[in-house]
Amino acid sequence: MRMLSILRGFLGLAAFLLLGDILVRLFAIPLSSGVAGMLLLTFWLLLRRHLSHDLTAASQPLIGMLALLIMPGVVGIFFQAGEFAGQWPTIFIALIAGTLLSSWTTLWLMRRLVPDTRDNAHE
Amino acid sequence: MSELLLRLESLAGELPQRTETAIVLTLAAYFAGLRLFAWLRSPAWCPPILLASCLLALCLALLPLDYAEYRQGVEWLTWLLGPATVALGVPLYQQVHHIRALWKPIALTLPPAAMLAAGYAVGIAWLLNASPQVLASLAPKSVTAPIAMGITQALGGSVSLLMGALLITGVMATLGITVMARGWRLKDERIIGFALGVNGHAIGTVRAFEIGPTAGAFASLGMSLTGVFTALWLPLMWHFVG
Repeated sequence: MRMLSILRGFLGLAAFLLLGDILVRLFAIPLSSGVAGMLLLTFWLLLRRHLSHDLTAASQPLIGMLALLIMPGVVGIFFQAGEFAGQWPTIFIALIAGTLLSSWTTLWLMRRLVPDTRDNAHE
Repeated sequence: MSELLLRLESLAGELPQRTETAIVLTLAAYFAGLRLFAWLRSPAWCPPILLASCLLALCLALLPLDYAEYRQGVEWLTWLLGPATVALGVPLYQQVHHIRALWKPIALTLPPAAMLAAGYAVGIAWLLNASPQVLASLAPKSVTAPIAMGITQALGGSVSLLMGALLITGVMATLGITVMARGWRLKDERIIGFALGVNGHAIGTVRAFEIGPTAGAFASLGMSLTGVFTALWLPLMWHFVG
């Protein structure tokens, strides 16, 4: 039963991916089919106001696998490192400093703008 | 006997292109990475995916296996990135009430945070005289992999450099935010999760789900919104500035 539920949910996800793919190509939208599909799925769920058990059953394992799924792409850098010889110090400095700065900025902005949960409870 | 040797020889030529070879290697490296991670007592500075990727790279380098061949073989697995991206709509929907309650800080934080996530790194690299190709590969560094790949191709960057940049960004954002949240005694899962998603894409989101479901939901939200927002503004801005 559980397996069939996952498969039905997977059918839904793949159908939204296909729909996203069609729309992105048809209207030359600069989005990947996956993101377009995700947005379509979100809108559809918002309209229906109901989340089926099947979709949850298929989504959870896939989201848990995200790290595994990007691994093949990550490995590529070890084999094409030579192309960027001489620029590695720049790349590392830009990535490390840039990411720490932007993380700090986001936390700082959110901390100032998000109301405290305890205040929220009294509303 | 000689026939067996002949068959063995043709097998050795065929195996590298096989889907199952690529998948066995990837999964084995993934689980070995997870094991190694647990054995090292879960260091925050080195996520399991970095360990797993290093192990996989080592396997590919030692075996008579070409990266291009591996890439082709593993396509069946990487295709799942598509439905997995669509699946992110589910936690997004489940947390819509959070977006409704916090739409103001989210609307105010997201555009500057997403722009700075790209802007700081590109600015620093530009000051240090990086080539246009490197700049284009670094620009979508805080965006989730499937969207970022599309963006960097549109800008003329290198997909594999982008992947390295994504990994470093994810690790640094996860590490930085964990340390900063501890330093500021910040416990609000919504803020930590959102910051992890905006800056650390999928790697930050994985970490946020470890913290808790609310942090995970806000991370998916931050990641999705950053991805969509960046995919829309970055190509336009690039065209305008470049």
